[in-house]
Amino acid sequence: MRLAYIRGYVTSTVKHPSFNGARLLIAQPVDQADKPDGAPQVVLDPLGTSLHEKVIICSDGGWARNYLKDPRSPARWWIMGIVDPEGSSTQ
Amino acid sequence: MRLATVIGRVTLGVRHPAFRGERLLVVLPWGPQTAVTGAGHDFSIVTYDSLGAGVGQTICVCESGEATRPFEKPTPIDAYCAALIDSTFYQAEDPHQA
Repeated sequence: MRLAYIRGYVTSTVKHPSFNGARLLIAQPVDQADKPDGAPQVVLDPLGTSLHEKVIICSDGGWARNYLKDPRSPARWWIMGIVDPEGSSTQ
Repeated sequence: MRLATVIGRVTLGVRHPAFRGERLLVVLPWGPQTAVTGAGHDFSIVTYDSLGAGVGQTICVCESGEATRPFEKPTPIDAYCAALIDSTFYQAEDPHQA
């Protein structure tokens, strides 16, 4: 699970059939100082996240396949929660 | 599930028995700055493709164990082209934040 910011979205016509109807956002993982860290990931969005929100992305492919209802889906990253700026901190 | 730009193809002379008629692409995964500047890609990787991506196209690559999920038989793959990307929208920073 990584902290990340939602920075955009992608559209795709030709794709693995399990992605039909799924919302695919671009999440940029960040380090403890909120600086970009590592490559941006395309993530599933089961929560209805908006742009520039801070989220936790999770790499549990098993849950992603469950969500897409396709045991053959190659999906891996998905948005597990939206961070509440009140009550979250790093030191 | 990284975004990547296709830069070439690989053809095998000798292949693992699990492969037959496979299509392999050389791709450059996007780094943190690529969506903004068009540069700063990560190191190139080889990815399996069944959708027919062409050179220059942007694709979504699924990596690690999940890359083998679409196959019925065990297949030695750790990168799978899951989507051909038509368009991307990307804003590196929140314009409304001070």
